Amino acid sequence: MILKEVGLVALLCCCGTGWLGAQDHTNVISNPFATSEDIVAGERSFRSQCAACHGPDASGAAGPSLTTGTFRHGDSDEALFVTITKGVTGTPMVAFKLDGREVWQLISFLRSANVGKAAGQAPGNPGKGAQIFTENGCAQCHTAGKPGGFSGPDLTDIGSRRSLVQLETALLNPNAEVDPDYWSLRARTKTGQTISGIRMNEDTDSFQILDSSRRLLSIWKADLASYEIVRTSPMPSFKGKLQSSDLGDLVAYLASLRAQPSREAQQ
Amino acid sequence: MKRLVLISTLITTLASFLPAQVSFERLLRAAGEPQNWLTYSGNLQSTHHSSLTQITPENVANLNLKWVWQAQSLEKFEATPLVVDGVMYVTEPPNTVAAIDTRTGRPYWIYQHPMPETTFVCCGNVNRGLAILGNTLFLGTLDAHLVAIDAATGRKKWDTKVAEYTHGYGVTVAPLVVKDKVIAGPAGGERGIAGFLAAYDAQTGREVWKFNTTAHPGEPGNETWAGDSWKTGGGSVWVTGSYDADLNLVYWGTGNPGPDWNPAVRKGANLYTDSVVALDADTGKLKWHYQFTPNDEWDFDSVQVPVLADVTWKGNSRKVMLWGNRNGFFYVLDRATGEFLLGKPFVKQTWSSGIDEAGKPIKTPGKSPSAAGTDAYPGVQGGTNWYAPSFSPRTGLFYLTAWEDYHTTYFQWDQDYEPGKSFTGGAARSPFQSIRRDPFIKWGPEWGYGVVRALNPATGEKVWDYKMRDVSDAGILTTASDLLFSGNREGYFFALDAKTGKELWKCYLGSQVAASPITYTVDGVQYVSIAAGHSLFTFGLGSTGEVRH
Repeated sequence: MILKEVGLVALLCCCGTGWLGAQDHTNVISNPFATSEDIVAGERSFRSQCAACHGPDASGAAGPSLTTGTFRHGDSDEALFVTITKGVTGTPMVAFKLDGREVWQLISFLRSANVGKAAGQAPGNPGKGAQIFTENGCAQCHTAGKPGGFSGPDLTDIGSRRSLVQLETALLNPNAEVDPDYWSLRARTKTGQTISGIRMNEDTDSFQILDSSRRLLSIWKADLASYEIVRTSPMPSFKGKLQSSDLGDLVAYLASLRAQPSREAQQ
Repeated sequence: MKRLVLISTLITTLASFLPAQVSFERLLRAAGEPQNWLTYSGNLQSTHHSSLTQITPENVANLNLKWVWQAQSLEKFEATPLVVDGVMYVTEPPNTVAAIDTRTGRPYWIYQHPMPETTFVCCGNVNRGLAILGNTLFLGTLDAHLVAIDAATGRKKWDTKVAEYTHGYGVTVAPLVVKDKVIAGPAGGERGIAGFLAAYDAQTGREVWKFNTTAHPGEPGNETWAGDSWKTGGGSVWVTGSYDADLNLVYWGTGNPGPDWNPAVRKGANLYTDSVVALDADTGKLKWHYQFTPNDEWDFDSVQVPVLADVTWKGNSRKVMLWGNRNGFFYVLDRATGEFLLGKPFVKQTWSSGIDEAGKPIKTPGKSPSAAGTDAYPGVQGGTNWYAPSFSPRTGLFYLTAWEDYHTTYFQWDQDYEPGKSFTGGAARSPFQSIRRDPFIKWGPEWGYGVVRALNPATGEKVWDYKMRDVSDAGILTTASDLLFSGNREGYFFALDAKTGKELWKCYLGSQVAASPITYTVDGVQYVSIAAGHSLFTFGLGSTGEVRH
């Protein structure tokens, strides 16, 4: 225990001006074990120590996905270090017994496992893509950095969370993967009224939905004559509606929507 | 009559001011003093059944909140409290004990175990409860100690190291007192421990006997481990066992073999993992064992509470043990001999085509974990798990919380053992996060759901179901008024008709119930308590907020 603490302090100190520079987000601690060999070693540690809960490819299982580029308990390398070595109170994520080098290598692997890591290499023109985004009315349903609609997923950092292939697939075949957060309820009450909206939550007795008038509604299942959960997306497909160059530009624009530097780094 | 009630009330009131003196004879006859809850499962037969009858199917709709105990910890609250003569003793995570006035919910004292900065148990820093003998409480800790605490003051009496916590051992189980001994063992099935169950002298904390759940060289069963694989073979102990005084046998369920999902490195049956062991209470010697899942490949810990019941079996009264196992099968065993009497699936399962006459499961080919992943039912959290089942001698039914239509993709790979580190030999991916989640239910019902299920112990057949949208980690309490109390991950605490499964009362507690309810009386009035989220809630008949001055 004590040895591990010393190891962490030593490693943090090794990272030069890390703590002193923490107020300047251009000068945060960098990972001292970030070579390709370290990533391979990190993947090995991941499979033995983390995969049981986070899945063999880090895309989630009993624990959340770690491939989205954003981390609930802090995105910075230091925050990840603390999460791994101290655990997260109130969750099954307990402290892990790893030495400092292993932890940094794990972090290097997690960075490499980010599905959005290559999104910045999209061949299209993001500036033109932004224009196509506006012209096609995407902002009616989506927020993308600046104010937009709320009925579709927030795209502000979608480039960090999705690969180029995933972005293109979502545009051409929106029903390919609809996040359950956007499944909707279509129901008929025993009095003959029709109800529909995005299913916000559900339990044995009730639904909580957001209807098309942006009202939050509570519904007892006992009051319904019938209901179904609609798992398709209301988003139109852009297949055949965009030239392939425009599609590439739109993908490039979405890929350019990246996560902000970590909260810790900004403080 | 009125005077009698008054005297009785006075005696009860006075008793609450006397220090608890819980002799072993009281523990043996715990079912005869339903005003208390003296052991983890309410009695040494572990029926989680109470003879109290004030709360009935007719009046249960009038249950109201009486008080709430809010834990200081944000960890999962899995503990079952004890209630002794007006005082509730409850553990809150990680290893804090509170003595609470059951009239008001106010604490008499709080004991905080000094913890190392980090411990290395798997799956959450939880504790499941206490045992009591005389005036002493017994607590297992995440740094793998057993601690004796004075029940009157909360002061520590002794502290015994059970195992080395830096090697992944930790004690989460509520100990069991048998005679003058305290029985407990370590968790750590995902850390490559070599498990055991041990008895400690209640006066001194000195170890009296030890039974190795991964058989060591020279012990019967060691031949069921390839090479030295027993050294890291798991066999954790994390849920409390039972005791039969006539047979002088302690019964205890054991955890999965390690590494969880790679059986190739531990060829053999891996005794005594995934088993129930019947041990002589005085010596710890093995009388018999039954292994539910030999050479387990799916993490089917058999840590469930052994429920001891005397039932009519093929026309004759028989002392049996009822067991809903994580592997999806319901079992009936003769608890004197260990003879296998019945094994029948109680949820959808695909890993086995059945159990042969000798009681050995027949594995289905193609269901082993693999590098590419293999789907199998039940999923990794099992058809049921650690939370309390119940047996009602009135209805003759066995009740358990089950996960139905629930599967997991199981992965397997080679892994080297390193002390204290995760040692699972693979991974398990389910359609929804299976240990703990946010309060949203978003997945499709085809991926699994929870039920409270009543089984006929004579046949294993389902008698009724209470179906829930979410799965559940809540245990079950039944009472002699034919009520059943349980809860679920949705955050509800509810009462059902134990004969029919009909829902009679329900209250939303705001967060996951991952604990088992208890009942007791205070001043002669019946209450029900259950932990949910980070708090413990107590309900009774009548209004909330009675004026007392």
